[in-house]
Amino acid sequence: MASRVVTVERPPRLRAVDTMGPLLIVRGLLVTARHFFRNLFAFMRGRRTIATILYPEEKMAWSPAMRGMPVLVQMENGKERCVACGLCEWACPVDCITIYPAETADEIERYPEIFDIDMSRCMFCGFCEEACPEEAIVMSQRVAIATTEWRGSLWHKRDLLVPVHELDPRLRYIRRGYDRPDVPTPAQTAERLEKR
Amino acid sequence: MAKITVDGTVIEVPDGSMLLPALLDHGVQVPHYCFHPKLSIDGSCRMCLVKVEGMPKLTISCNTPVRDGMVVDSRGPEVAKARQGVLELLLVNHPLDCPICDQAGECYLQDYAFEYGTREARTQEPRRKLLKRVDIGPRVVLDQERCILCRRCVRFCREISETAELAVFNMGDRSVIDTFPGEALTNDYSICTADICPVGALLSKDFHHKMRVWFIDEMESICPSCANGCNIKIGTARREIQRLLPRRNDAVNETWMCDYGRLRYGFVNDDRVRVPTVGRGTPAITATWDDALDEAARRLGALARTDGRALAAIVSPHLTNEELFVYGQLVAGGLRTAQRDAAIPLGPADDYLIKAEKAANGRGARDLGLAARSGELDLAAIRAGVETGTIRGLLVTGTDVWELWGERADIFERLETLVVVAANAHPLLGFADVVLPGLTFAEKNGTFTNHAGRVQRIRRALDPGEQPSDGDIFLALGRRLGMEIPPGPFEPAAVLREIVASVPAYRDVTWDAVGGLGVPTIEA
Ligand code: SF4
Ligand code: SF4
Ligand code: SF4
Ligand code: SF4
Ligand code: FES
Repeated sequence: MASRVVTVERPPRLRAVDTMGPLLIVRGLLVTARHFFRNLFAFMRGRRTIATILYPEEKMAWSPAMRGMPVLVQMENGKERCVACGLCEWACPVDCITIYPAETADEIERYPEIFDIDMSRCMFCGFCEEACPEEAIVMSQRVAIATTEWRGSLWHKRDLLVPVHELDPRLRYIRRGYDRPDVPTPAQTAERLEKR
Repeated sequence: MAKITVDGTVIEVPDGSMLLPALLDHGVQVPHYCFHPKLSIDGSCRMCLVKVEGMPKLTISCNTPVRDGMVVDSRGPEVAKARQGVLELLLVNHPLDCPICDQAGECYLQDYAFEYGTREARTQEPRRKLLKRVDIGPRVVLDQERCILCRRCVRFCREISETAELAVFNMGDRSVIDTFPGEALTNDYSICTADICPVGALLSKDFHHKMRVWFIDEMESICPSCANGCNIKIGTARREIQRLLPRRNDAVNETWMCDYGRLRYGFVNDDRVRVPTVGRGTPAITATWDDALDEAARRLGALARTDGRALAAIVSPHLTNEELFVYGQLVAGGLRTAQRDAAIPLGPADDYLIKAEKAANGRGARDLGLAARSGELDLAAIRAGVETGTIRGLLVTGTDVWELWGERADIFERLETLVVVAANAHPLLGFADVVLPGLTFAEKNGTFTNHAGRVQRIRRALDPGEQPSDGDIFLALGRRLGMEIPPGPFEPAAVLREIVASVPAYRDVTWDAVGGLGVPTIEA
């Protein structure tokens, strides 16, 4: 095995002042007091100087790149967009998705009769979202999914459905990957055919 | 034999054969749709184009006979370009159905598009709209948009099933596959059209939207539903059989199987008995394996000791040869009776694959001496014996005897002792003093002998867990009835060696040789 020299930084020798305990307490309190009064005056003037937020009353605005728990897209008609193709089930590295497909009378003939995600195994990798050909499963911003019940971590289809408009930022984000300005939109194609 | 050069390698191929099958046999992958080894040549898909030196244009290899000294280019740039073009034309009107198409994952169009396609559509025109989910028969559904018009299904119905229900209607880019007006695809082999359809245009209704093929594990086995012994693949997923598919064996079933056999697998998944029960009446009392075996041995042993003619054994033709052999030893040595016969269910037959004996191993039972020979007590005589009271105990494997004896409760009520080894819930079990759960063909290893005497291998596709196999049950009963049986589990391969040593017709059979496509027994 090749050896490697790592230089570590040792703490410097203690100075005399560092050994005077009570003085250090005062020094620490001064730091605390400085922050306290700075934040207090800023707060009174309505300007914010701290990074801490008052969770859970306040929530951070996350970037759409953030990957929370995977959810199913619910279309305007209330149905899921998923067609039970099984690709997410196959892509999932930890096998936490279980789908039982079935037939419907709708134009798209297939739907998931059962769609379960075992969230105790999901590792938020987003492979399911990447595999989906229908933009039907996306990574939401939902992260508070702890449960006190063992069974509670198994999410069923009705709990996984999220209306499509709530997922819009994420959908727009994942489409960036394959947005192709050189491919005409259906509207442009229709217009072109109209002219002919 | 003709010598031809393919991509710089010289191979020897049989004279008069077509180029495509010769290339495929030598492992040269040439994409093709309409060619099928068991159907006539159609030449309609143009996918199998190759370059042959001396020919002015690319030529379809499925309809070009081999010539000695031929020089073939099967994958050069010119050939690849042509394939790309053919694919592009096929895809012009193909719907983007892969996520909802059952063929996805085993679709030739997907595979070749992945290998040779352009990945981009250059057309912007709307795709052709045709009928979807057309109900063309009781077991098959058609999607006209997905069809690539290879006409394999049409040729199958003309040449193999000889029923000619399907045809191409209209011409040019209006062509569609459909049944003749007023007709339906009803022949006994109709799901084979779904097998040979290279895309998802024809699909089995039974498998429709049931399971993605990439979750399925396949195991080579033999169809258990008639004496023909068609070679099959058992497709399993989620610990259940999802479908059966035929497997090519030119000596038995070419590449086909009948719909009846293909759809008869539900008994493996449903209505199983898993725990032994003791005592008549419903519900019977569940027992441990040891207690149930003890009770069965006690009851059978009591009768065996008093009078050898008070006992008879019913033999299931669904057992493997190895199980039958051990069962034969149990009947002769443990029950000490010569009264046994096979209960073989019968049904309709045709002059192609479907045989009248609706069990896979009736021939095996006869070969191994477990069916009554002429002059011996047969099934009807055993029934008469039960009715007159001379036969007081029965050891039954399988449940077919219930139907064969006319589903009559009074016969079985007369018995002092009825021990049944069966895999599925059945009315007969209600009359049994002891029920010992058996395994189905999908859960065991062994061999079946088909109607023509071909010995073929079945393989375990589903894990039965802790449940003992039928062979283990027979050994355990034999031990309890005082037979000299060395300890250890039931080993099919070892039992087959015993069969080979003691049954002359099986002298050429070995476990390994049987493995692939089976071995014929020698006619006496
Ligand atoms: S995020 Fe990853 S682990 Fe979670 S369900 Fe999707 S593929 Fe599976
Ligand atoms: S990949 Fe998408 S469409 Fe396919 S099963 Fe998963 S969520 Fe449904
Ligand atoms: S239905 Fe299938 S087998 Fe029949 S012509 Fe169309 S693609 Fe070929
Ligand atoms: S012909 Fe017989 S062996 Fe062949 S598939 Fe049908 S039932 Fe099974
Ligand atoms: S396979 Fe040769 S033309 Fe179709």
